[in-house]
Amino acid sequence: MTSPVSTPTPQGAGSAVTPSVPPTRSAQRDGTASSSLGTFGVKSGLAQMLKGGVIMDVVNAEQARIAEEAGACAVMALERVPADIRANGGVARMSDPAMIKEIVDAVTIPVMAKVRIGHFVEAQILQAIGVDYIDESEVLTPADEEHHINKHNFKVPFVCGARNLGEALRRISEGAAFIRTKGEAGTGNVVEAVRHERAVQSEIRKASAMNEDELYAFAKDIQAPLHLLKETARLKRLPVVNFAAGGIATPADAAMMMQLGCDGVFVGSGIFKSGDAAKRARAIVQAVTHYNNPKILAEVSENLGEAMVGLTIDDQLKGGHLASRGW
Amino acid sequence: MAIDISLVNGTLEAPVQVTVTIGILALQGAFAEHQSALERLDLRDVKAPNVKGRLDKRVCVVLVRTTEDLDRCDALVIPGGESTTIALVARRSGLLDPLREFIKVKPVWGTCAGAILLSKAVVGAKRGGQELLGGMSVTIARNGWGSQVESFEAPLEVAGLKDPQNPYMGVFIRAPVLLSLDQPSEYPPIEIIARLPPDVIPHAVPDSETQNQIQEGSEDPKRAVAIRQGHHLLTTFHPELTQDDRFHEYFVRECVIPTLYG
Repeated sequence: MTSPVSTPTPQGAGSAVTPSVPPTRSAQRDGTASSSLGTFGVKSGLAQMLKGGVIMDVVNAEQARIAEEAGACAVMALERVPADIRANGGVARMSDPAMIKEIVDAVTIPVMAKVRIGHFVEAQILQAIGVDYIDESEVLTPADEEHHINKHNFKVPFVCGARNLGEALRRISEGAAFIRTKGEAGTGNVVEAVRHERAVQSEIRKASAMNEDELYAFAKDIQAPLHLLKETARLKRLPVVNFAAGGIATPADAAMMMQLGCDGVFVGSGIFKSGDAAKRARAIVQAVTHYNNPKILAEVSENLGEAMVGLTIDDQLKGGHLASRGW
Repeated sequence: MAIDISLVNGTLEAPVQVTVTIGILALQGAFAEHQSALERLDLRDVKAPNVKGRLDKRVCVVLVRTTEDLDRCDALVIPGGESTTIALVARRSGLLDPLREFIKVKPVWGTCAGAILLSKAVVGAKRGGQELLGGMSVTIARNGWGSQVESFEAPLEVAGLKDPQNPYMGVFIRAPVLLSLDQPSEYPPIEIIARLPPDVIPHAVPDSETQNQIQEGSEDPKRAVAIRQGHHLLTTFHPELTQDDRFHEYFVRECVIPTLYG
């Protein structure tokens, strides 16, 4: 099975399968021929290093330090956590680069930051200040209602949200090296993340049982690039790392997403909108490592204090349904 | 099929099957990739004159999350991931001291984050420092090339691998850099088994960190990306992210098997 050279098949994540052709979008380091920067291998490779970990939303250097001490494997720098974006309304944009740089200087773990869907200049700015990963995120107000960023044009890797397999594979074909469920950010309600992860897994199982004729029809049906669908069917998993995001508020939520097949979790408002942020953050980190051990999960879930206030997801949801953004 | 009996001590006995059990520290990071690579190895052709018996074809892999898991292992791989996370979770899971004891007696291979944890000193750790496991007499700097946009792939020539004429593609992701290779008398000698070409020397490590440590005429340790000390192996890059299993084969053949019934 060969894939067109213009869209390299990403390297398998959990299954560690290497593409049959070397990554072709490598930018040669200036003046040397012996190393290549920004290959798909190093982009998806960083996501592979984050597996089994928790990525936490932080709004300042102090919160970033709390997250690092709790054992976060990366932090997401943003001006307002999704719960506040939901409550305050208005247009949500990329954060002040000065604030992001402060966070980069405060911690040693990777720092991610969000850009609006389609806003490639915000992405150029974040690449220039040296963030480690960009989240092209539906939590911010979209800047383009038709196009996502062409992520192949960047050396910095991107993570994108998805609700189903077709959406995940469209993002990967645009260059995303890492996929997360969209869930419903800022609600403290895990139901949408569960829906999205179950949808992805179920469609992968279906595709894995199909013959080639059926895969052509299925690719058309879910609007996914055929070569990526074939690769997914062969691997029996997404060809990049897949985290849960959007509504995770407790250690049990995190462990449930891991048991459903996610490689790790993002926790947004769930930590710093709770009673004892440091303790809850530590508990969620332990829960993701020991997700299959109910005895440890019981221990770490004790006496965590107040969880964030959860929201019911219905038509009256304040701030609207963020997961419907993106195309 | 050959008959599974042979003459041992003058009596007919079935030969002993020896299973090589390798643990992978599975607290956080790319442990599944190491598992796939180790499980692909075929040990039937590996020479093991010290082993009184026959090696099982397959490595038995244990994902290590508790001390009970660790107790089953002949050797350990510490994968890539975030070294601060792995150290903090190890501390809270009661694994830090058992791991330190393990490293004193059994072979360990650290890749990237694992390489940091195997070092005796680290530069550029988080505020307040980070806990290490030690085991190798080297000093290492975290994120020696800078942020993710400086991550790269480079072909390496590696001494001692199978098919040495084929370069090994090293994948360096926010990789650490060795700053000094010390040789105190209580440690076995350090052997450099792979170096970077001189044109990809890390520039994010300030010279002040290393200047006084490089002696006249000696080699710049920053070029060393794979080293061996006794039964321990350290790589600052990620062999588990490739489909090339030669480093895993090397670890089992050169570091692990010689310690079995040794």
